Parts: sequence; C-alpha cells; structure tokens
Amino acid sequence: MKRFTFLVGVLILNLTISGCLTDKIDDNKASQPEEYEWVDDGELVIVTYDVYGLTDEMLEQFENESGYEVTLLKLDDAGSVLDHLLQHKGQQVADIAIGLDNTYLQTAIDNNVLWEHNAMLQNISESALLPYDGPLAVPFDQGYICLNYDSDIVDGVNYTVPESLWELTEEEWEGKVAIPSPETSSPGRAFMTATTDYFSTDSDNETEWTDWWSAMSLNDVIITTGWSEAYETRYTGGYGEWTDGYVGDAHIVVSYCHSPGVESWYNGNWTKSAALDIPKASFHQVEYAAALEGGNLDSASAFIEYLLSPEVNSKMPIENSMYSALEGYDLPEENGYLFHSVVPSEPAVVSSATIASNMEEWLEMWNKAMVDA
Amino acid sequence: MPEMNIRLSNSCALLAYTLLVILPLWLALDRLIWVAGANPLDWYSSLEQNYVSQGVIQFTFIQALTSTLATLAIGLPIAWQLGRYKWPFQSFTKAILTMPFVMPSIVAAMGFLHIVGRAGLNIRVDDSTWFTTLIIAHAWFNMALVIRFCEPVISTLDPRLEEQMRLLPAGSSKTGRFRHLWAPLLAPSIAAAACMTFVFSFTSFALVRWITLGDNTLESVMAGIGSSAGIEGYMISRNEIVLGSSMIQFTILLLSLFLMSWLQQKRQSLLPQVSEEVVKQSNPKGWTVIGPALAFALSPLIAVFWASFRIRNTDSSGTHYTWETSGWEFAFSSSNSMTSAWDALYNSLGYASLTLIIALPLGWILAQTILDVEKDKPRFARFLDVLTMLPFAISSVMIGLGVMLGMIRIDAEFFYSFWPTPALAHVMITTPFVVRIMLPALRAIDPEYDECGRTLGISKWRRFFQIKLPLLRGSILVAVIFTLAMSLGEFGASWVVTRNSDWTTLPIMIDSLRAIPYNNSLTAPAACAVSSVLMGITLVLFTWAEKFRPSRDGGMF
Amino acid sequence: MLKCSGLSKSFEKELFSDLDLELEPGEILAITGPSGCGKTTLLRCICGLDNPDTGTVFLNDKNIGEQDTERRGIGMIFQQPVLFPHLSVEGNLRLGDKNGDIDSALKEVGLENFEQRNVTSLSGGEGQRVALARALLAKPKVLLLDEPFSSLDEDLAMKLVSDVRSILKQRGCPAILVTHNRIVAGKFADSVISM
Repeated sequence: MKRFTFLVGVLILNLTISGCLTDKIDDNKASQPEEYEWVDDGELVIVTYDVYGLTDEMLEQFENESGYEVTLLKLDDAGSVLDHLLQHKGQQVADIAIGLDNTYLQTAIDNNVLWEHNAMLQNISESALLPYDGPLAVPFDQGYICLNYDSDIVDGVNYTVPESLWELTEEEWEGKVAIPSPETSSPGRAFMTATTDYFSTDSDNETEWTDWWSAMSLNDVIITTGWSEAYETRYTGGYGEWTDGYVGDAHIVVSYCHSPGVESWYNGNWTKSAALDIPKASFHQVEYAAALEGGNLDSASAFIEYLLSPEVNSKMPIENSMYSALEGYDLPEENGYLFHSVVPSEPAVVSSATIASNMEEWLEMWNKAMVDA
Repeated sequence: MPEMNIRLSNSCALLAYTLLVILPLWLALDRLIWVAGANPLDWYSSLEQNYVSQGVIQFTFIQALTSTLATLAIGLPIAWQLGRYKWPFQSFTKAILTMPFVMPSIVAAMGFLHIVGRAGLNIRVDDSTWFTTLIIAHAWFNMALVIRFCEPVISTLDPRLEEQMRLLPAGSSKTGRFRHLWAPLLAPSIAAAACMTFVFSFTSFALVRWITLGDNTLESVMAGIGSSAGIEGYMISRNEIVLGSSMIQFTILLLSLFLMSWLQQKRQSLLPQVSEEVVKQSNPKGWTVIGPALAFALSPLIAVFWASFRIRNTDSSGTHYTWETSGWEFAFSSSNSMTSAWDALYNSLGYASLTLIIALPLGWILAQTILDVEKDKPRFARFLDVLTMLPFAISSVMIGLGVMLGMIRIDAEFFYSFWPTPALAHVMITTPFVVRIMLPALRAIDPEYDECGRTLGISKWRRFFQIKLPLLRGSILVAVIFTLAMSLGEFGASWVVTRNSDWTTLPIMIDSLRAIPYNNSLTAPAACAVSSVLMGITLVLFTWAEKFRPSRDGGMF
Repeated sequence: MLKCSGLSKSFEKELFSDLDLELEPGEILAITGPSGCGKTTLLRCICGLDNPDTGTVFLNDKNIGEQDTERRGIGMIFQQPVLFPHLSVEGNLRLGDKNGDIDSALKEVGLENFEQRNVTSLSGGEGQRVALARALLAKPKVLLLDEPFSSLDEDLAMKLVSDVRSILKQRGCPAILVTHNRIVAGKFADSVISM
C-alpha cells in the first residue's frame, strides 16, 4: 500500500504545482513592464505563419548584413500568430511577429503584447498606413480581399455575373460559393468584416449582414477551414484543378482581388479567374511586422528596416503574392500580373478599433446566423 | 539488498512516468478548465452549437462505425484465406498485407489522394466520393488488425476439432460448423479487431485532414482551433469545444480499452493449442481474394512513389506532365523558405532515437513493476495497468495540446528552444505500447529459468544479460522497431507541438509542402518524395520487425 | 554437513513443521511422500528459492539461511529439465562453469559430441542429463533433485537413476532426491525418509 500512498502523494503534488502556476500567470498579467528591458542576445526569433516572402536567401542576407542569428517559428495562419502571442503573454519566446493583419492587430495592441519599434522608415505608402499608423506595428504588404469567379463558367450565359451580394443567395448559386470560415481563416474574417459594412450602408435597411449569411447558409454556401481549401480544393477557376485534392464545386470564391493576376503570372499571361468588383464587398487587408514585448528590440527593429527596404519590399508581389507596402511599387506588368489584378473601386471601410471591439461579438453573431438558418 | 534496488527502480519509473506523461496532461486540462469553466454541459453545448463543430460528433461516430464495418468486410476474407490455406511465400504475403498498419497515416493520405485525384481514378471531382475514400483508406490502414487478430485463431485451430465437429449432427453442414465452431471461436477476435479499428478511425487525423473536406471529426476540429486554447478570456467557446471533444474522445477510448482487455482475455482462453504444425492445402481459388488484397495494400505506396516524379507544367498552351526528379531535388534542397528534407530527416531520426532511449526502459520497468506487485497487491497492479494505458485513451492531437499547454505553463522559453521537446509527445504515445509488448513477454518467461540460474550460482547481472535479455530479445526488438516507427510517422501531436517551434519532422514537412498555396508545381511532387523516404524507412523497420515477431503471439502488434 | 533444523512452512495450508534433517558428507538421501505434501517446497527452502517460516539451514556448520541462493553453492535439478532455449548444449553448460571441461562433463553423463546440439531437439532423458552435467559443472556442495525422473518412461528412468547415482557416488557429492516413487527412492538413495 506504501507505493499507492506515494503515487497519491505525487498526484497531490501535481495539483499544488498547477495551483502555483495559475497564480504565477495571474501575477504576470498584472505586471506590465514600465520601461523596456531586454538583452541583445544576438538573435532574432520570428513568429510568423507561412509567409512565403520570407525566403531563405532573404533571411540569410539579413543574417550576413546584421550579424543576428534568425530562427523562424512558422504557424498555420495569421490567427495562430495572434493566438501564439496571447498564449505566451509575459513569457514571449519570439522577438518579432510577422503577418498579423489589420483584423488581428488591434487585439494584439489591446493585450499589450507589442513594443514600439525603433526602426528608421520612409516611403511607406499612404494606403498601407490607413488602417493603422502608429509605432507599434509596421505594414509590410497589402492587398484586397474580394470575390473571384471562374470566367469560363460564369460567362453571362450559363451563370450571370453577380452584381450584388444578395444575388449569391439565389438558387443559381446554391452550393457554388466557397468562403473560408471567419472563425479559422483571416481572409474569411476580412470578408465577414466587409459584409458588416456592406449591409449597414446598403439601400435596404430591413436586413442585417447576419441575414445575408443566414440566407447564404440556406443556399448551401461552402464554408472551409482555410483559404487553401476554398481556393485550391473547391474553386474551379484557379490552379487548384491541377492538384490532387481538387474537388471543384465552387465557381465563386473569396480570395484576393489580385489572385487572378497571380494565376496569370504563374501560368504565363493566361487565366480564367477574374476578380469581382462589387462596391463595399471587398476589404483592404494590410499585414504587419511588430516588435514583441520582452523580445530583442534591436534585432526586431533591424529586421523591420530590412523588410521595408526597397530592395526587399519591392519583391512582395513575386515572393509573397501581395502588394508592396512602399509608395511607387505596383504589381509587375510581366505575364499579365497587373492586367488581371483589380483594385476595388469602393472597398468596405471599417476601422481597426471597430474591428477589435466587435470581432468576438461578430463571430458569435455569424455563428448564430449560420447555425440557426 | 537487490529487492531495495528493484523497489527503487520501480519507484523511479513511476515518478518519471508521472512527470513525463501525467503532469503535462494534467497541467493542460487544468489550464483549459481555468479558461472555460468546469461545467461539462457548457462544453457539450458549445460543441453542438458552434458552426465550427456542429454535427461533428455524429459524423465522427458514423465514419468510425462505417470504417469498422468496411475493415471487417475487407479483412476477414483475407484472414480466412491466409489462415486456412497454404500460400507461396506465406510470411512475405502476410507481411505485405499487414504492412499498412505501420505506415505513417500522412503517407497513406498522400497515396489515397493521388489514387482518387485527377492523375489517378479522377473520381474526386464528384464531391460525394470523399466519404467513401476516407472509409476505404481507414480499411486499408486497419485491415492488418483483423488479420493479426483472426488469422492465428484460424491457422492454429487443431484440425481434430473440426474433424470431430463433422462427425457430430450439429456440425454436419457448413453453416452448422460455422455456427457451432468458427463463430464462437472467432467472435472475440473479430470483436477485438473491430474495437481497435473503431478507436483508430475515431481518432484518425492525417487522413481526415487531407481526404475529407472541412474539419469533420472531433480530432480535426480540436487541431484546427486548438491554437486559441488556454488564453484567459479569449475565444472561450473554443476552449469549451476542445474540452468537450477531449472528454467525448476520452470516454469512448476508455470504454474501448476496457472492452479490449476483456476481449483479449476471452481471446487468450480460446486460442487453440496445437503441438504439431498443421499441414495445409493450397487454394487456387483464394487468389481472387489474396491477389486484389495485395494490390490494394501496395497501391497507395506505389501511387506516392510514382507521383513524386510526375511534374506539372502549365502555360498558355495548357497543362502537361513530364517525368523528372526535380521534386526530389526541391525537397532536399534548402534554397526556398521550406526546411530541407535533410533537416527533417535529421530531426525525425533524432526524435525517434530519443523516444526509444526514454520509452523503452520506462515502458519495460513499468511492465516489470506491474508484474512485481501483481502477486501481493493485485489491485494496485490493476491500477498501474490502467494508468499505463491512459495515454491510449488520449488521442494524439490531445497529447500535442497537452504538451503545448503544459510547456507554456512551466517555461515556454526553455521548452521552445529545447530541441528534444517534440520527443516528449512521442514518449507519451509510445510508452504504453512498450508496456503492452513487454508485459506479456515478461509474464511468459518461466520463473524456473531464473531460479535455475540462481542454483547454478550465477550473479544477478549475469542472469540479466545472459538469461533474461536473450529470452526477451524478440519482444525487445519488436518494441524497439515499433517505437521507432511510431515516432517517425507520428503526425497529430507533432503537428500541434512543432507549430510553435523551429523543428520540422518528415510527416510535418509532407503536410507543409502540401499546404503551400499557388506557385510551385514542385511542392506536391516534393511532398511525395518526402513521403517516399518516410515510407522506405518504415518498410525497412517493418521487414526487420517481421523477422523477430514471436510467431504465435497473435497479439495486437 | 547439511543440517536443517526446525524448518516449517505453510502456504495456504501447513506443508511441514519443525522438520529436522541431516546429511552426511557423500550421503544420498531420498525423501518420499505423496504429491502436494511439500517435498518440492522443502528443497526450495534449502536452496533459498523460498524462505521457510521458521528454522535454519546450516552448511558445514555455517548458517546459510540469510544467504542468496546464488551464494549458497547448492545445485538443483528441476522436475522438467530447465534448459535455456537461446543457447546450445555447450552454451547451457558454460553457464555452470565458464571455463569448465565441457567434453568430459558431457562424457560423464553419456552424451559425447552433444556440444552443438540445439536444446529443443533433446529428448526428456537427454535434457535431464544435460541439466545434471550443468549442475555438476557448478561444483555444488549439495545437489538437490526434484523428481527429475518422473517425466521419463520407466526403463529410461531406471537407467538414469543408476547412472546419476554412480556419478554422484564417484564424485562424493551429497544429494537429496524428493520423489513420490518409493522404488526409485530405494534404488537411488542410501537412506529413505518419508514425509
């Protein structure tokens, strides 16, 4: 029986330890660093999702030029980056976060996980500074989220090209629209945010944005976990049809307004995908680099400067399939990249503060609209 | 004096097990409850009412049940033919048919995707086929269980029993013999195989992730939203969903475990004892079963290897394919933002070795502890038995979340820069298997061997190295190989744990390569190239394990 | 030389109590009794595989009751020959004495040229002869035999009984045989007691 007692003892010990730790976490929350305190350890730990702009060549060049040793922590998506920052609040393991977008940034700021950087920057485009223009985060790329359609099928004969979001709730589009879930994907979140603006400013005062989502839910809208499943697996208009998981049952998908341009760039000036410019149904997404609380502020700032240097940032369209955040660098014209990309005439306008204070509630409303439909 | 030593090593093993396995899981659970509250009804209602997880419980059950039935339908005829008749290269044939079970699930997922995809049967465009694909893939994966459980019963049945049965009125017809002889003899084995298949299908992750559309099972929902878990006051419903899913999985798996141990006892008591080899006949008609079965077992692997050389070229003139090795070059070079396959290979082999070094002694001593206390304290032994099986009841994504949250609570900075961290998850997963393999092996050693050694005046250490170790050699090697294979192919837990780190393993690299959007037509072939490497290593390990498998164990592995 | 005094042991029921036993140098003793009367347990208590509830065992006037089995220098032949399946005949014998003369040990028990044989291929009688040779190689001060002949058929058993007796007598090795068979006991031992 002695050993049993021992084991019970160990279990009780566990309970106690865990109790202590819970307290410890509370303490951490209470204590906000008043002043910066960090050690330049010669390292740069980057937490990011698979941002493809961060090529090895680029990181190597940074290592050689600055002398910092770079480590990459790659998460799934922008949402996971925010989760990571919140989970490690008070014991941050990384020095810089790359890839928080303007739907996530304010939450990170409100939770005090970012530090003001000390990078010297210039020539950042006005549009990139629209959602946030402060010292806690620096835009490094941007783009617009909007609907894309397969122009081979949605040709005005078999399917009419929709001119409003309500048209998508008609029978014609039953099961033919794929949208990444706002719960788990940042393009999905951005698109949902756009719909809150779209329906608050439309002529029809009777309906709310949630009504549209309910109607979409009834119309068998395809909600996917992430962008790739929507675009690659479901969408008929993109490169997905050449991949092995391809299903191809959606002719309209939520992606970027310049996604057709990217298609064309990779295919050699040819694409059947087109962006749909419906007023207020697109969302200006800006992605940020931000120094993290408790991290190495010097290396983080150095990297921000490097990332925003014309040499590196001008490559965003090619390396990261996004617009540059600098003034004067548009998409390349080569292979129809620029030609097939659309800059929406009237994107939705929702401020970062509105997004941050409403997002959890919006997600709940969205959830209810989808489930109860 | 020696008894003291035994006590000490047993206690150390228990302590290590508690610290390595129980503690992180406990911390994770504690943290989740801290955020989400301790009301299981809330967890459940979040699970049912959230769009992310709505209908997932039902789907998880339905697919697991269907997979189980399909596995039995495919596995039983194979087991019957294998056990009943003589086949050329008998053990080789059996090895091929049971090999899918040790294949990493991500490799199987890639294989099936290529089979149903546009380069293969091209049936995936019909979006109703993914369910069938998932079920068939689960059957492929688990048919080995049916063969392993049922074939020994069929092949070792004393022929006199059947001869006797023929002479009795009740057994004069085929159906009569089936009802009165085969059905009761095979029932516990079939039930045991079904139970295990259900468990594996219920918690399957890589296959669900890649073959189905959306997050359809509890395991994949948890994986999808688990990154937001454990943050105070943030996305509380996600914590509830994770807790709710875990609890349902835990309950189902725990019930299955108890059912399994009961069925195993029944099975053992029914395993017929034959002293001499039964002479079997060959059965040419049986090729209609064995032939397609062999093709079925091999096809996903061939598909993966084949697809690793098939490169897509799209330009304005359309899309065509060429045969090249550039996918392999892409995988093994590091000139892109992906890790090179060399790094992944190095990490995978490192984690597998580390897992082995910890899990093998730990599992072995735990098994020994259970045996040591069995005589004097049977109830404590039973408790230990269940405790060591506990990680079986925890799916790999749950273990991954456990490690991640546990680490965060102890010292995130330390563990994230501590290369061995992911191996901890592998230790949790493999230790119970080592216990399961070593326990019957230790129990099977006649105590007279040791006693005889003592009367010959042989010291404790020499008895261990010259008598016990050689007697256990087969089982130890099986445990070694399984530990290595499981660690190398582990996907769910690594997927959760390595997300926060700089370390990539081979299965995770396959997943990341497949998840890269756009551009490169080389990513999919590269994923297949890495899959082929993983497949090759697993095949070598498996062939090696087959050599040392105790011939008549008929057990789980 | 071997002396047991006041040995008792019960295991669920009382097997023996206050048992005294004395063995002279070179003496071969047989203990008979029905099965289940505790004969085997008595041998196990003498060599230390079991501990008696009370009583002590002396070997050459030294109390060995607290010693580990492997240090007592008492050999034992089990009812079924315990041969290690992972070792050849020679490997098994080497466990008795690493550097012993395997040839002559095998010759002594009548198994010439058996060195490389696989132990699983041996018959019951051959197995017991190997076990005997191995036990003798360890040069035991006393040899205990636990019904080693009972699983053999009668002719073979009788042949083995006289062979083993003559080997033991030749070496002057004292021995205790337990058996339920009085004929075997009478043929093998110098004196017979019953339990």
